[in-house]
Amino acid sequence: MSSIIEELQSTVKKLLEDGTVGYVIGWGATRFPDRTTPVFITRPEDAHKLVWNHYCVNGTAKYALDDRYPEKKIGIIIRGCDSRAVNRMIQDNQLKRENLYLIGIPCDGKENPVCEGCQHKNPLVYDVLIGTPVEEKINPDRFKEVAEFEKLSQDEKYEYWAKQYDKCIHCYACRNVCPACNCKECYADQYRVGWQGKQNNRNSNQVYGLTRAFHVGDRCIECGECERVCPMGLPIMRQTKKMLKDINDLFGDYECGLNDSRPHVLGEFDLQDRDEFM
Amino acid sequence: MQLKKTDLTGALKILAADASVFVPGEIEGIKRFVLWDGESDVDLGGANTQLPPKDILFPCTEKMYNYKMGDSIEIKEIVEKPRQVIFGIRPCDMRSIDCMDHVFLEKGFVDSYYSRKRENVTLIAMGCTTPERTCFCDSMGLDPNNAPNADVMMNDGGDTLVLEAYTEKGKAVLEALNGLLSEGGQAKKDTACTLKVNMTPELPEKLAGMFDHPIWDEVTRACIGCATCTYVCPTCYCFDIDSDNHGAEGTKFRCWDSCMFSDYTRMAGGHDPRPTKKERVRNRYMHKLSYFHERYGQHLCVGCGRCVEKCPAHMDITMFIDKAAEV
Ligand code: SF4
Ligand code: SF4
Ligand code: SF4
Ligand code: SF4
Repeated sequence: MSSIIEELQSTVKKLLEDGTVGYVIGWGATRFPDRTTPVFITRPEDAHKLVWNHYCVNGTAKYALDDRYPEKKIGIIIRGCDSRAVNRMIQDNQLKRENLYLIGIPCDGKENPVCEGCQHKNPLVYDVLIGTPVEEKINPDRFKEVAEFEKLSQDEKYEYWAKQYDKCIHCYACRNVCPACNCKECYADQYRVGWQGKQNNRNSNQVYGLTRAFHVGDRCIECGECERVCPMGLPIMRQTKKMLKDINDLFGDYECGLNDSRPHVLGEFDLQDRDEFM
Repeated sequence: MQLKKTDLTGALKILAADASVFVPGEIEGIKRFVLWDGESDVDLGGANTQLPPKDILFPCTEKMYNYKMGDSIEIKEIVEKPRQVIFGIRPCDMRSIDCMDHVFLEKGFVDSYYSRKRENVTLIAMGCTTPERTCFCDSMGLDPNNAPNADVMMNDGGDTLVLEAYTEKGKAVLEALNGLLSEGGQAKKDTACTLKVNMTPELPEKLAGMFDHPIWDEVTRACIGCATCTYVCPTCYCFDIDSDNHGAEGTKFRCWDSCMFSDYTRMAGGHDPRPTKKERVRNRYMHKLSYFHERYGQHLCVGCGRCVEKCPAHMDITMFIDKAAEV
């Protein structure tokens, strides 16, 4: 681990020194040893502030959206999931590849339950790779939880989600953190009487949950950020997983963000498409 | 006076006879204040609740009035004066009620929705015994063992709870519980926070002069602009007013709003004086640590640590305080 962190810091230092990048997004220390926070390194002499450990859980890629017209390339330290987030946002026309310098780092799984099922620990796209690739594992249980949940009756499912959304505090962390939630203006931020507002009640909360899930729909990269950030512990990924499962059942193998060009399943039309569900 | 812990349920039954009693509990995995069900055991120790009891006095969505439009407009105010007891509220959350009192009851304007609930609530506070690693109330000028604005203060006394009435309402509580109380009791009052923060007396004024300081570029960038920090904060009191409209009639309500949202300061026409997270996070930190102090002479951060615990980006107001004290 220590040589990887040295390699990471010296690479970042060099990229800042030679002007390849304007700044680098990575992880830095907090007050607590088991928690890191996203940091933005602008000066070569600050590269030592970067950390790489079991607690680097925050996604790094979405921060690039804060700076759509950078003077110099934005350096982003990316794990497998972050690389898929980059692909997601390039495919959604939110980021330009030429504005990014991707510092890939194979990931051994972090303090985050979603990492257990991760099928892409190695970055899928990068400009430089730190360390050596790790072994990838197919996760046979990718949709196991959803399959179990599908067995419940409609009423049971409703009851389950109603209880969950009764907890939702409308913080919109699940939206703000999601690399697939990249609309310029979210429908939930538009103001109109009778529209999605800030009132907290079962209807409004569930409408938000449903709409978010559908808007992410076939573009979810399964990074698990929505679920990690939810302060109320809602199992949000179960919704997008359900849609991905249906897509897999109907249209064959489908995973998002593996490259930056594959069309979305729900965004293309083919006369051969299955339509018995319509 | 002291109350045997084994008599706690009996005491709650007495209190619940003529009021809604809110106690620390859990719903779907989240520790929060819940309406006591008349029988469950209540755990007053351990960590503070994940959500503050703020919504008991300041509901996250509160109906204000019904309206009906015809030849004339009919308006019917919704007046609620529930008799409520908050049982086991901690010193930091008690201080947050003090902050709310300043905002909603003072400086020449009384918020009737808040004041009706406030007048009818009885606050029975509990001293902390096991602070979390994110608790820093004693750095913010509080005492985790005592809540001066409580009606009744309780402290752990081993097998008993040691009770002291601070107000007339509090005396009435002790009278009602009289049959269950006995004299004496050794209260444990030596709790201290482990997290110490460098909140110097000069900081509020120092910050007021740091509006354009480069520190803001650095400490605000990780923020993702959600409202978690403000919605879990016991002292954030911003609200928005909207209506639930059905044809010619409907209901006006107010609901929590957050200065961390991108639309919070957006004006008609689209101009936004706080256009990026830098201005928004700066506003939150400034309000907690400087602006409120200037207006009311006390901090709007009570050191409960909830925002530190829950921020998805692991932003930390205590790190900011230490940094600002140093620069
Ligand atoms: S897992 Fe959640 S945060 Fe990640 S892409 Fe899917 S919906 Fe968005
Ligand atoms: S992160 Fe959780 S609490 Fe916040 S809006 Fe999303 S579901 Fe609701
Ligand atoms: S400081 Fe943290 S909790 Fe608050 S808005 Fe920013 S990301 Fe959300
Ligand atoms: S700012 Fe944070 S620590 Fe301070 S009172 Fe609010 S939630 Fe608690």
